[in-house]
Amino acid sequence: MHELMNTAREALHLLISLDPALWEIIGVSFRVSLTAILVALPPALLIALLLARVAFPGRWFAISLVNTFMAVPTVVVGLVLFMLLSRSGPLGELRLLFTQRAMIIGQILLAMPVLTAMLHSTLQSIDQRAWETARQLGAGWWQSLWVLIREARFGVIAAVLAAFGRIIAEVGSAVMIGGNIEHFTRTITTAIALETLKGEFAQGLALGLVLLLLALVLNVLLGVMRGRGHQTVSV
Amino acid sequence: MLEVSQLAHGFDRQPALWEIPHLPWQGLSLVHLRGDNGSGKTTFLRLLAGLETPRQGSIRWTLGGTSVSPPCPGHVLYLHQQPYLFDTSVAGNLRYVARWNGWRGATARDRVAAMLERCGLAAHAQQRARSLSGGERMRLALARAWLLSPRVLLLDEPTASLDRQAIADVSTLISSLHETGCAVVLSAHQPSVLTERCDEYWCLEQRSLQVSVFKQGVAV
Repeated sequence: MHELMNTAREALHLLISLDPALWEIIGVSFRVSLTAILVALPPALLIALLLARVAFPGRWFAISLVNTFMAVPTVVVGLVLFMLLSRSGPLGELRLLFTQRAMIIGQILLAMPVLTAMLHSTLQSIDQRAWETARQLGAGWWQSLWVLIREARFGVIAAVLAAFGRIIAEVGSAVMIGGNIEHFTRTITTAIALETLKGEFAQGLALGLVLLLLALVLNVLLGVMRGRGHQTVSV
Repeated sequence: MLEVSQLAHGFDRQPALWEIPHLPWQGLSLVHLRGDNGSGKTTFLRLLAGLETPRQGSIRWTLGGTSVSPPCPGHVLYLHQQPYLFDTSVAGNLRYVARWNGWRGATARDRVAAMLERCGLAAHAQQRARSLSGGERMRLALARAWLLSPRVLLLDEPTASLDRQAIADVSTLISSLHETGCAVVLSAHQPSVLTERCDEYWCLEQRSLQVSVFKQGVAV
């Protein structure tokens, strides 16, 4: 217990003293995950809109597929990408393995199903009258689409927060295709795994606290968004 | 002017709700559309607005000398029984319309302000649209439509579930809109001040549309 308290004190000190090594890792994590979310959002939004608003053969199968992909373990994504990006793999020429770009690709693949499924559910619940009203009042197709997204904005933000929470906390794909290289591809989760193996618990715990704090912030924001979204629907 | 011919519509594989061989309408009058529950009043109005495609037959609107099939955005507008208000302020709802129709700056501001004033909503301009009462919501929906000076308004039970005062306010607004040259077709179950002012009655019954035209209270 005493040792745990000492480690916790040391972890807090590392965080508060703005330890450069620690904050570099946090910076890499946020840079990779934020880029992945920004890249994944537009196609996810488009796919979600298609699934929610356009009737086409195989639509329900596509929805089931998206929902299934949400359950794919991160290590499986890591494994597939590793096989594709390794030197002997079909995309080996690109020399992306063990780079931040590879990690971003992995996180995009992990974020897409979560984003698409949540956005689909949000956009499907938007009242059909919104589209009809906008179109009748002179809005063009894209303007109506933008209004629809704006009407669903709380759900969109909630989807982004949920997907961000998933990818920043994942370790399987990050360690397999990032390689946990110091000053380059070491993220919060891969560093925790490494530091724990080395017996350096303080830095691991400090990074764990950052993730915990992030989870708290994201959950509070999600709660606020859900509340606002609910208010929007019920009023 | 409206020209409906050989119109029939129904849902899925059900038999047609009604068949309307011919309906010419000058598109000037205030029309009361009647019919029992399930007679297809809403469907008929939505077909006229182009929000649904008829199973059979054709609907043509002649606007400014050109004959077109619906939808005719900005010209022939259908208002839902519970109008959809965008999740923004009262003025914001009107600003959307201004933006979509290319009005900018002072022009947009002046038109929006004038319409809010005309519809008695100026005091609520910054209020969230969805926090308005039923009558105010309908007035905002009418204001939004009026901003476009439409040729025809198709109103689906505009005074249903409103209290007496709200019915009076909405009726006055619809009458004023009609007086500006906008033809109105409104469906309503209950007779009201508004339906008494109508000079044409369309009744959906026995799978057909019966038309009665009145001039100064006398059937012609």
